[in-house]
Amino acid sequence: MAKEKLKEYAIIGKPTPNVDGPAKVTGEAQYTIDMTLPNMLYGKLARSPYPHAKIISIDTSAAEALPGVKAVITGKDTPGGKYGLWRRFRELSDQECLATDKVRFIGDPVAAVAAVTEEIAIQAVELIEVEYEPLPAVFDPDDAIEDDAPMVHEDFPSNINATRHIEWGDVDKGFAEADYVREDDYVTQPIHPAALEVHNSLASYDKGTGRLTVWSSTQSPYFLQLGLSDALKMREGDIRVIKPHVGSGFGGKNSTMPDSVNAALLSIKTGRPVKIVYNRDEEFQTTEHRTAQHMRIKLGLKKDGQIVAMEVKTIVNGGAFTGLGATDLYLTGTFITMPYKIPNYRYDGVRTYTNTVWGTSIRGFGSVPGKFCAETQLERAAKDLGVDPLQIRKMNAVYPGYEAPGQYTFESCGLLPCIEKMETRVKEKWPKLEEDEGIGFAAFAYMSGGIFNWIDTPYAFSSAHVKVNIDGMVDLYTQASDIGQGHNTVAAMICAEELGVGIEDIRLHLGDTAHTYTDLGAWGSREVLMNGNAIKDAAAQVKNKLIEVARLKLGENIAYDLVSKNKRVYLELRPERGISYYDLVQDAIRANDGVPITGVGHYTPHNKGMISPAYGTGIMAVKAKTDKETGAVVCQDILVVHDCGQVINPLGVRGQVEGSIHMGLGYALCEEMPMDEGNVLNPSFVDYKILRTRDMPEIEFIEVPTYEPNGPFGAKEAAEATIAPTAPALANAVFQNTGAEFVAPVLKPETVLKAIRAAAAKKQGK
Amino acid sequence: MKKQLNIVVNGEPRELYVEPKTLLLQVIREHLGLKGTRPACDSSSCAACTVIVDGMAVKSCSILALQVNGKEVTTIEGLAEESQLHPIQKAFVDNWAFQCGYCTSGQIMATKAFLDENPDPTRVQIQEALDGHLCRCTAYNMIIEAVQDAAKRLQARKAEKGAA
Amino acid sequence: MKTITADFEYFSAATAGEALDLLAQHKDDDYRIIAGGQSLNTFMKHGLLKPEIIIDIKGASDLDYIKYDDKEGLKIGALTTHRKLEQSPVVAEKYAALVDMEVNVASVETRNWGTVVGDIVNADPAADPAPPLIALDASVVVASKEGTRSVPAEEFAVDLYTSAVEPGELVTEIQIPALPANTGFYFTKYSQLHGDYALASAAVLLTLDAKKEKCVNARIGLGGVGATPIRATAAEDILKGKKITDELLAEAAQAASEATEPISGIEASAEYKKELAGTLVKRVAKEALARAQKA
Repeated sequence: MAKEKLKEYAIIGKPTPNVDGPAKVTGEAQYTIDMTLPNMLYGKLARSPYPHAKIISIDTSAAEALPGVKAVITGKDTPGGKYGLWRRFRELSDQECLATDKVRFIGDPVAAVAAVTEEIAIQAVELIEVEYEPLPAVFDPDDAIEDDAPMVHEDFPSNINATRHIEWGDVDKGFAEADYVREDDYVTQPIHPAALEVHNSLASYDKGTGRLTVWSSTQSPYFLQLGLSDALKMREGDIRVIKPHVGSGFGGKNSTMPDSVNAALLSIKTGRPVKIVYNRDEEFQTTEHRTAQHMRIKLGLKKDGQIVAMEVKTIVNGGAFTGLGATDLYLTGTFITMPYKIPNYRYDGVRTYTNTVWGTSIRGFGSVPGKFCAETQLERAAKDLGVDPLQIRKMNAVYPGYEAPGQYTFESCGLLPCIEKMETRVKEKWPKLEEDEGIGFAAFAYMSGGIFNWIDTPYAFSSAHVKVNIDGMVDLYTQASDIGQGHNTVAAMICAEELGVGIEDIRLHLGDTAHTYTDLGAWGSREVLMNGNAIKDAAAQVKNKLIEVARLKLGENIAYDLVSKNKRVYLELRPERGISYYDLVQDAIRANDGVPITGVGHYTPHNKGMISPAYGTGIMAVKAKTDKETGAVVCQDILVVHDCGQVINPLGVRGQVEGSIHMGLGYALCEEMPMDEGNVLNPSFVDYKILRTRDMPEIEFIEVPTYEPNGPFGAKEAAEATIAPTAPALANAVFQNTGAEFVAPVLKPETVLKAIRAAAAKKQGK
Repeated sequence: MKKQLNIVVNGEPRELYVEPKTLLLQVIREHLGLKGTRPACDSSSCAACTVIVDGMAVKSCSILALQVNGKEVTTIEGLAEESQLHPIQKAFVDNWAFQCGYCTSGQIMATKAFLDENPDPTRVQIQEALDGHLCRCTAYNMIIEAVQDAAKRLQARKAEKGAA
Repeated sequence: MKTITADFEYFSAATAGEALDLLAQHKDDDYRIIAGGQSLNTFMKHGLLKPEIIIDIKGASDLDYIKYDDKEGLKIGALTTHRKLEQSPVVAEKYAALVDMEVNVASVETRNWGTVVGDIVNADPAADPAPPLIALDASVVVASKEGTRSVPAEEFAVDLYTSAVEPGELVTEIQIPALPANTGFYFTKYSQLHGDYALASAAVLLTLDAKKEKCVNARIGLGGVGATPIRATAAEDILKGKKITDELLAEAAQAASEATEPISGIEASAEYKKELAGTLVKRVAKEALARAQKA
């Protein structure tokens, strides 16, 4: 049984302080924003004030004449390469270096300036005169698919950027067999990832070699290398991307963005290093967000609460470009079914181009809007049917080995034990409710990295190189990204555990495309499972070489198993017979003609369905109180029970659970990006509300261990799953207390007050 | 026209000449090259750039540098004691009180000023003291625990020194 | 990162007298006074204000004081920071609700550097100090080389971001009368997150008669629900001279709500804010009454 494989390790599973800790608490950790190079210039982008307009002319002469300005470029000065993450279908690489013929959203860059100071660059941008001819624009996804809608991309047949159809079972038959069918409409709001470090890049072009080095606040150095290669029409190998410490990403730093592209173009043009740093309002107005969705769900159940059929239709406001939106659209259609057994299912999703800033893969991507809709609908159905909210989730819960035909399979799955734990804990924790309090639940599941290859890489999804030196120091090279989630610590732990050495024996070399083997970066909770497998593979190769030497040296019967643990290689059954790791390394390297012992490991998932090799699951409960006179909702307490496989670092997992819930609760209470004709109305931290210290409740996190056969040491997704249930659990708590139903996740007081009154009116009407 | 600015930064007297429009944050990052103090919001609403001026936590992005003329400024670089991390820094590391680390300098400097004033705070007092500090990663709870831990460490150190 | 890009001439004053001299000299120029500058610097960073001259009074330490006596009440010097008001023992003792107010003004960092007077001169109608000052019947002392004048708190803000201070003038002090016996004072703001500007805020001061039966004086200040902070006199009149009951409070709350002229924003509509102001008045008055009864 899988469960038997869970075991005690020397390092895995032990709370381990962040390997980057000392650098981060002393301020010494270097982020791209902290970097300067000798002779560096400062770049700024001139941006469109119109959501949709033809560019008639651009006059840069006044800007060029300003003392201190070293270069001004427009679309005609670029190599004309188009770029995007969906490289597999080249028509979806739809971003230009600088807009040439027309602009497609407010903030679309039309020119770039490099100057000796940032202040001069700003002045120069103001001196660029662009003549626009405003075009009719489209902002609403439903309008965008009308026949006479203005076209966002003329080279596309329509404003339909992507469509997805998913179906299994016999949906019509399923609904016919249902005792209870309901349909609900939702309109979810866009939110911004709002990483504290803004997008910024420093590019340095070497005139002698024709090679480019770019430091950038990115989630994936490899994606940026590919994006720059496409945009600049340069060979990948001539572009080196280095990822310093990153002030977080949350999905907003997967795409190549104009800061990197234009810093590079300006550096190539001037022969000097150029740095572009966005302002916070540029960040909100022009960088990627979680898209708005207009969703309709039809759900059919048996009287007892068993789900028999589900049909989902969604139309997504994609904005001006693709980003990872096409993937988000697909994942929406699958994650909305999780973690439930749905025998008959049909999904139709449409992602539209519109004249707004575009949406992409924000934390929990594919799961967050859909889960809000599905979990609040399930709660309403349970209430109508008189079924307990935990019971309805339990009876429909997926189990180990569950397969959604042709789509996904749960190998490990601890959802039922999670729900059972929740049943007992919730009664202990909140035995009695006040009159203004309610408890809401939502169950969840999320992937451990994606299987999809839209980036079109020929490389392994993750790879790692491990080298052991004469003094026992282990160099670990991999492109995997730590953007704050703690992967550097996890990488060191996995490498150390497999080799049987200490964390202090590992020296990390991560995130530099010139010196490391490829990894696709930090998104979709992929690094622990995918990079972890690659590191474990590489370390195992080194370990096996060392063990071979140890066997010879110890002269033991080879039938005995040798293990490497706690810096010794020894006979598992007779631990006193062994050799120090440090002595062994010396012998091994001498025996290897003085060449350090190395291993190159890799991982690419094969035959694991359409989405991911493994899924974390669980259930969340939220206790909230609602002020029925003001509509104010306070989230008082959160309890989450999570099946996240073998935990690698309990500190990191808890941190990620807390952080996911914080972002989920912001989505639930106050985060939104209202737009007026493509103009984001709240582009600052004054008006874009992010929960602060006093606004956060304490979170109780209970972990239900499982062993995931596809993950390193049984590990899989942890924590990212917990963003999606937060908003529906909160809305369900308010629903249980007041009867209020919501069409959007954001429970602003006025929205809540109106919903409470509508519920009261409905009740009276009955 | 540039004006003279005399400040003591992390114990070292500095004499600078700055334009009156220069913000304290620019002096710290650009003139003195102390990059541990970081900008994030442009609107005086995240406190990532917090430093200590004459014992008070303030937002260096929202103060004209000339206003601190003659005062003592402490940045994150001035907190560690030679090669040793300060107890607050140790507590932040041990409690996983940061993830990306971008807001951490500000959180730690605010904690320093706060614990100097209130060495034995309650959870609510810590929340009030750090409420202006936006963190997109941690949900704050592990920061609060680090501050509680730091308070204990500082008290223990004080008791040790008292006994010695 | 945004910085201040427009240059300005800079003068600093070490005393109130020096400040008044500088103001007299630059009376007709495009100047701004900076104390803490916690709003002004952000406005300048965003290019919303580009004054040619900045007169810095942060160093005028003779304006940095909090004084109290039972006869004259509380005097808050113009350089008193929010934080000093928050931490003042005499304020905690005599006007406890002002401390509650301060704890929710922005952040500790802002309160450490920003001044209470600067906040009211900035005249953001959703800022916290004005409604309680109106309820407390405070006055604002405005000085110039020609002399001083006193402006009632409810007349101090004249429009959105515009105060009653004229060119050449300087606010030197806020004066708050000592509270009479049997008086309760309370303030609440509602903002979705702590420390944010108010969606609506209400301050209520109630004085009861010697038997603590009837209300002899009522003052109500509202924030966030108009171009300026508002004194809700009609609501005050409903309470004055009567025994305060839940019904009477509801009536006063309704009158207060009607006195508001909020505008719709991202967070809430005008209608919602109007209703919210009434709800707050009802709740705050109830607490003020409880405090008056205990006083």
